[in-house]
This record gives sequence, C-alpha cells and structure tokens, in this order.
Amino acid sequence: MLSLLHTPSTPLNRFSFSPKTLKSPKPQFLKTPVQSVLQWNRKPQLAGETPRVVVITSGKGGVGKTTTTANVGLSLARFGFSVVAIDADVGLRNLDLLLGLENRVNYTVVEVLNGDCRLDQALVRDKRWSNFELLCISKPRSKLPLGFGGKALVWVVDALKTREEGSPDFILIDCPAGIDAGFITAITPANEAVLVTTPDITSLRDADRVIGLLECDGIRDIKMMVNRVRTDMIRGEDMMSVLDIQEMLGLALLGVIPEDTEVIRSTNRGFPLVLNQPPTLAGLAFEQAAWRLVEQDSMKAVMVEEEPKKRGFFSFFGG
Amino acid sequence: MASIWSLQFHSLCFPVSKHHRVFQFPNVVKLRNEFALIDAQLSSNRLSTNRNVQLRAVGSSDQDQPIKTETFAVALNTNDPVAEFQGFVTSLPPVVFVMKRYGGRNIAIGLCLAAAFLVIAVRAFMARKSRYKKPGSVADLVRRGQLRSDRRGISRPLKYEDPFNNPLVKVGKNNSTVEMCGKVYRLAPVTLTEEEQTIHQKRRSRAYQWKRPTIFLKEGDSIPPDIDPDTIRWIPANHPFATTASDIDENLAQNNVYQKHGVPFRIQAEHEALQRKLEALQSEQKLNNLVIDPTHAQDFERPFKLNSKSQEPVEQNPFSNQSGNSPRPPKSDQAPNAFRSNSSSSEEMQKP
Repeated sequence: MLSLLHTPSTPLNRFSFSPKTLKSPKPQFLKTPVQSVLQWNRKPQLAGETPRVVVITSGKGGVGKTTTTANVGLSLARFGFSVVAIDADVGLRNLDLLLGLENRVNYTVVEVLNGDCRLDQALVRDKRWSNFELLCISKPRSKLPLGFGGKALVWVVDALKTREEGSPDFILIDCPAGIDAGFITAITPANEAVLVTTPDITSLRDADRVIGLLECDGIRDIKMMVNRVRTDMIRGEDMMSVLDIQEMLGLALLGVIPEDTEVIRSTNRGFPLVLNQPPTLAGLAFEQAAWRLVEQDSMKAVMVEEEPKKRGFFSFFGG
Repeated sequence: MASIWSLQFHSLCFPVSKHHRVFQFPNVVKLRNEFALIDAQLSSNRLSTNRNVQLRAVGSSDQDQPIKTETFAVALNTNDPVAEFQGFVTSLPPVVFVMKRYGGRNIAIGLCLAAAFLVIAVRAFMARKSRYKKPGSVADLVRRGQLRSDRRGISRPLKYEDPFNNPLVKVGKNNSTVEMCGKVYRLAPVTLTEEEQTIHQKRRSRAYQWKRPTIFLKEGDSIPPDIDPDTIRWIPANHPFATTASDIDENLAQNNVYQKHGVPFRIQAEHEALQRKLEALQSEQKLNNLVIDPTHAQDFERPFKLNSKSQEPVEQNPFSNQSGNSPRPPKSDQAPNAFRSNSSSSEEMQKP
C-alpha cells in the first residue's frame, strides 16, 4: 500500500468528501492530474537547515521504529545525503543488527563520555554506503548516567556539526519504546519527529500520547508513518484504513508501508529492505517516505485498495 | 537435408574417375552405396539427373564385383598410405570447378560459417578480456573468502533516482489508479486539513500537560530546593540500564565528546599512570640493587642515606603521588567515588 504525491500547490482542503472507509464513493478529484510523478532522475531537494535532527519514535514497541530508521537512513544515503543514525535505545539496541553492523560496534557514546575513545572512533561507517554512519549510545550491559543523557546527545549533535568532514545532512535518532528516561534522552536534541504507528488501536493510543508529549516539548514538525498495512484486511474492514488513522491522530502522512515478509528476511540478513534488488513494495514505500522527508513534504493521496489488473486483448499472449 | 548434402558431396567426388576411386577408397564406395539408396528414395530431387549417373556408376556392377574390388583396395591401402593420400587428393575435383558449379551457394555458406566462427572467437576473447580486466575487484575478495558472496549484489547503486517515477511505478491513464510492483491500487486523496490539525493539537495540549524532566533522582533522594516537582524523573535504584550516579565529571565528559584529535583522555591518563608506576618500580629496583650491591664499598654510605630518604614515599605508598600528579587515576585503581559528581546530577535541558 504505497502512496503518491500531488503537486505541492494542491490545497489539502480541495476535496470535499471524506472517505472514512473503503466503501466511500470514488473521488471526484481524479479528473485533476495527480502529479505523483516527479521529474525524472533528479536528486531530492534538501529542505530546512542541516543537520536535520529527526527522532523516530512511536510509544508502543514493535511497530517498526528501528526498521524505519534503518531503511529511511539508508535511502537517504542512497539519495546522496550524509546520514548519522543514532541508536538511542540504551538497554535494548537493535539498529546495528538490522544494518548488519553488529560486529563492528566497539565503542559507544558511553565510551566517548568516559574518554575511552573519540567520537569519530565511535562512529561506525557503513561499507555499502560510506555516507551512512551508525552511533550506538551504549552497550547492552552498560548503564547510562541519566544525569546528562539528553545533554550527551546534544553535545554529540554539536560535535557532529563542527566535525572536519562537514556536518551531516541528517541525524536520525532511533528512540526506544515507552516514554521513560530513554525517550527523554532521545527527543532532547531533536527538531522534528517521525511517529511510527500500526493500524491497531493499541499503538494509536500510545502514539497520540507520544505526540502530545512531543508537542509539549516544543517539537512541532511531526509526521507519521503507518506501518504494516494490509490492503486485504482493509478491504474486508478488519483493519483501519490510513485515512481513518489520520483522522484519529491529525498528523501529516510521511509514508505508508505495506506488510511485507521481506522485512523479516532483510532483518535476518542484516540488509535493509531498500537495498533489495529488485525492490519490494515495502522498500519502495520506505524510499518514497525518505524522499518526502528530504523535501519536508507529505502525502496527498494514498492508495486505499487493490484493484484487479485490467488485461488487454493480447494479454493472453503476454501483451 | 543431410541426405541432400551427402548427395552433393557424392556427386562432387565421383565424376573424375570412378574406378580409380573405387579401388583406392573402399569406404567411399560403401558410402556411395548408401547414397545410392538415399538417392533412389529421393528421386524427385532436382539433382536427380546427376545422381542417376552416379547411381549407374555404382550399381551397374554385380553384387560380387564390389566385394572383390574392396579386398583389393584394402591390400592397396595397406601397401602405401602415402599413395592413398595422393590418390585421394588427385581424385578431388579442382576447386575452380567446384566453385564454378556450386559457387554462389557454397560461398554464402562458407561466409556464414566464417562469420559465426569469428563472432564466437571475438565473444570468447572479449569475455576473457573482461574477466581479467579488474584483477582487484570485489569478486576477487569473494573468491578469496574475504567477502560473503550471498551478501553481494544487493546494494547496487540506484538505477532510478526518483522512487515515484521508476519502472515499477506506473500511474494509470486517468490518474485514479497506480500500478506498483505489478499490482494496481486505487488512489484516494488525503482529506486532512490544517484546521483539523490545529484542532487535534489543541485537544492534545489540553489532554497532556507535560514538562520534560530536567532532574533525575533516585528513590529516597530528597528533592532539592527551587526545583519544579513536575520536572523530576524518579529512577528506581534497580533500573536495568539507567543510573542517576555518574562517575565522571560533566565538563570532562563534554570535553571528551568535543575532542577531535589526539589520544582519548582516559587512555592517556592510564598510560601516564602506568608509566609513572613503571618508573617508580624501576627506581625502586635500582635503589635496591644499590643497597644490595656490596662491591662498591666506597659509595656505600651515600647511596644508603639517599636511599633511605627517597625510598620512603615509594615504599610506603607507591601510588599516592600518582593520583596527585595525574589528572585522573587509572581505571583499575580508581576509587569508586573519586570523581563522582553529585549523585543526583541535574540535567539542564537546552534545546538546540
């Protein structure tokens, strides 16, 4: 279930009907051209000031924060931007596993704070895309002093801004689940947030609370990604549609990721989904979300259900 | 088709001297008999006139006669293989004659064959050349076992830069559908308005009153004065990975994060401490040697006096002056609370 873009000039309130469910009538706007197709072969234009410090959070666990961080991060790297992904999950870090870098993490932010290594030594550069770097905040068994956990990340961001090879374009912070001390640490240096949720009521309630906390903290630029969407269940009205979720949370959509078995396979292999060739549906969705993140854009049209493919007269012969 | 070709070969070979060839090449004679049979079956062929002549030439004799000639031919063959070869060569029709008769077709066939061989050879050559073009490529690393081959080939660079406009994304003609990865999806517009967004924000601001915690306290700690109780985060003492105590100074930690060159602080401190310890041990050994050494009788008293003075601090507490001189003691010798800052270190939240 992927999504497309209209022209940025298309107003949001242009469409009068409200398709809450899939039984909604066919939209009338379709006469107008859907400018989903951007210019051919152009690099996305980076909007906002660099480094863009984005925290990827959810509230509930297991909705795909780390998967989103890995895939969006590597998509950004493939688009040509320099990215530093920070795994701020203190006790239960997993980002290194998803990226296949678990054997290369020797130093973390805790070692940098203690003076055991420098910050550049703690950054793990991905060999596949050299403009992607991973920074873990601590080792699983070490304790992070919370007295300056948030401050430590602010220092890290400042140090990355002034490093010799230049400031990174994006700093993605993978936030731990919950709203505990780890959450506070992760959101401290962030300027914008990506909220990952699944189309079930439990994660939506947590997401709403987390959005409230982020807004109280002063982070206004919040976009959401709906993960693990199944079009067959939406068609049978067993799952909320993306538009339903958007109506409940009132957030702009950054991306909609379909449920894909390739996610588990890619996790097992330590290769994020976006690197798969040929690309999968979920990988394409992550790429599109990364594109929107770069341009600070949001989805203007979503794909709600699957239609049977129309076959031509010569389709029997492969036409 | 094969029979036609063989018939042509037969007709080519035969007309010069049939007896000569029959005597010297029994195999050819045998073949000729077969050809004759084939030829008889294909009598409607356009080359039938020619073949009839050949057929007569072979089949005019009796059944016994070819057998006799065959045995004779074998005897001849065993006698002189060189002569056999010469006879074979002379029995062949001249090339010009062949070319005149079947020139156009054979030239075309020959050219095709030559072109095919040329193409095969060039392809093989290019393949070999390309294989050894990059002797230090990643494929060599895979061959040597340095890289895992199953992890290769996935992270190729993007062939398309735009994920909205690539061969796997096709928008329908009337823009109501989109085809992605072979599946067609119906499009629906996003209906969220900015007014709705602000309404949600107001609802949340009413529902969730929250201040980010700026101070972390352990259970049982007293609340310091001038601190908003809403900004206190209480951390249980047995928290699995969070601690309120830090054994490192905050300014020092900040300097460590900002350090860009040189040896990291703790590594340097440990190195210096170890060096000092080593020096102390070496001096101790030296002095002990001097004390023990009985050979230098004349220098005995002075070193002993010096030794008694200088050895005292070393022997009593060899590490006491290290911690004083070095900015930081080694990790192993460090007291647990030597540099411990306030156990409830407050965190000033500074948004960048």
